[in-house]
Amino acid sequence: MRVTIFFLSALLGLPIFASSLPSEQRKNNKLVQAALSPVQLSLQSGSAVFYNDSDRKPFLYGTVVSPDGYILTKASELELVEEFHVRIDEERYRELKVVAIDTVWDLALVKAEATELTPVVWAPSSDLAHGTWVVSNGATERRYRRPRPGIISANKRAISGGTQMVLGVGLKDTDEGIVITSITEGSGAEKAKLQKGDLIIKVDDQDSKKREDFVELIKEKTAEDSIELVVKRDEETLTLDVELTSRYKLYGGSKSRNDQMSGGDNHISRRRTGFPMVIQHETQLTRRSVGGPLLTFDGECVGLNIAAVNRVEVYAIPVENLLEVLSEMMEEAEANGKN
Amino acid sequence: MLSSLLARPYFNNLEAPESLEDLKKIQETLQVSLPKTRAATVCLEIGEGSGSGVIISEDGLVLTAAHVSGGVDKEITVVLEDGRKLKGRSLGLNSETDAAMLQITDPGPFPFVEVDMDDSFKLGDWVFALGHSGGFDKERGVNVRIGRMVRQADSTVQSDCMLIGGDSGGPLFDIEGKLIAIHSRVGASKEESMHVPIREFQRSWEEMSKGEFLGEGGFAKKPEPGSGFLGVMVEENEKGEIEVKELFSKSVAEKAGIKVGAILLEIDGKALANKDSFYEALSTKGVEEFVLIRWSFQEEVFEKKIELVERP
Repeated sequence: MRVTIFFLSALLGLPIFASSLPSEQRKNNKLVQAALSPVQLSLQSGSAVFYNDSDRKPFLYGTVVSPDGYILTKASELELVEEFHVRIDEERYRELKVVAIDTVWDLALVKAEATELTPVVWAPSSDLAHGTWVVSNGATERRYRRPRPGIISANKRAISGGTQMVLGVGLKDTDEGIVITSITEGSGAEKAKLQKGDLIIKVDDQDSKKREDFVELIKEKTAEDSIELVVKRDEETLTLDVELTSRYKLYGGSKSRNDQMSGGDNHISRRRTGFPMVIQHETQLTRRSVGGPLLTFDGECVGLNIAAVNRVEVYAIPVENLLEVLSEMMEEAEANGKN
Repeated sequence: MLSSLLARPYFNNLEAPESLEDLKKIQETLQVSLPKTRAATVCLEIGEGSGSGVIISEDGLVLTAAHVSGGVDKEITVVLEDGRKLKGRSLGLNSETDAAMLQITDPGPFPFVEVDMDDSFKLGDWVFALGHSGGFDKERGVNVRIGRMVRQADSTVQSDCMLIGGDSGGPLFDIEGKLIAIHSRVGASKEESMHVPIREFQRSWEEMSKGEFLGEGGFAKKPEPGSGFLGVMVEENEKGEIEVKELFSKSVAEKAGIKVGAILLEIDGKALANKDSFYEALSTKGVEEFVLIRWSFQEEVFEKKIELVERP
């Protein structure tokens, strides 16, 4: 990986500027917001704001997908907050239930006890040319969703990584086989009471002698399931079920200088890799302002903002993929409801 | 000039866009400008670092930032949006304004953009920034950002286009696709993006194209003469030849294949008369500068361009 070159002007002092544009005229400020008012109407009805009950602060947005209260949002941010409520338009909803989760797309489907909501209107296609205006949720007010503009800024594509599963152990190859050298706090390995010095003999009934093969085996897992490990500890042979965890949850993403420039953990999404398809825009959003709809100037929903990647990049799940995964999640929710 | 006689886009004369229609007009103009400007925006790979630049002539003259090129006569790999890699060499720079030039040395023609030589942009104009943010990514392509010109000073302009590492040296265009500035640095707040305006390049265009290192600013450090280290000790032998007597282990000379007993023939194309002429030639060179050395060893003649390093 190459080092990207940048100068922070703090190192040099700011130049003295002769003339300056009044702040209200700048891209993200009042006057452009006012010009966006026709789109604001769709943003107002199609967005949900998630509030943390403990500090009453908004921590995430959602996208309203049905009149009877189904809301899609970003799962890896929602799961950090235990008690929350949402506001849709001016109404507050306290009775909420997470009815389905999709770990591949990092989506949660939430059901509010609501009727007669105005869900987003889906755009026919997410194939927007570079430079096309899109509108997202900016800083929110209690009863008013502020629109924030941006443009499509890069190619539509898949983003690799992210969903990789780990046990949460350090491993080394020895003459006898693979030995566990460390256990990560909070990992499945710790919960299963694996210990430093355990010798791995079998993984899911397959012999495993080399670290490389072991890692390959784990890599194939995508969902949050568990594996069966046979380990030798002193003279004992133990069979243990070990839960797998996503790498980003256990270790977080690695933080580069660009991440620090982007405000670090406060601003960038916890999960921002491993999406089968995204469209990218350059709206200034943070980890707390994703989850909501990405709208065109026609007020149609072209995607769902799924990750604030850094200060110049936001990913959104394209409408085509979103509709597909939404119908799967609705089926799952229905099936769970019947059980 | 004809271009300055043409009307400015009407939305640049508004305090701010008043309707979606105004914003759509901005989008339409931008989208006409994008194919050509994206094609000419390049990623620059220098040693372990990565920045951006923009091609401004068919034969491959590139404008970038001084803190990206880092010095004169350096080898730079130039990557086009389609992934094509080209060889380049840095020309001059201004370490006080952060302006720099480089030349693609592979044969053209290359896609290039028009430069706003009339300095015609104004405060409040809609502009867009391109660059290889975070380094080259073929799947993603060039990253586009839109904003307005929000502040102006003599040697620096500021826009509210967002920048990040890797964008440095990349182009800022007016909405019609004329190059108006080069990305330089960001301020403490997210919306402070600083660019070097073209007028600063114009001020030292001649000197920079000749490969001069200008100014004593913080954007690039001039190599100190004599600081460059090759790693050989030479003596004149009985035939009056300049013979390598000692070689520092792991030095750049050793890595280039120079051996003890080698006879040095030329430095930078000049024949060596005696040992002093060799050390004199070296004493003008700094760290990261190159020497072209021609030598013979056991009847064979070698020639290599060697990059000098810091004295251990």
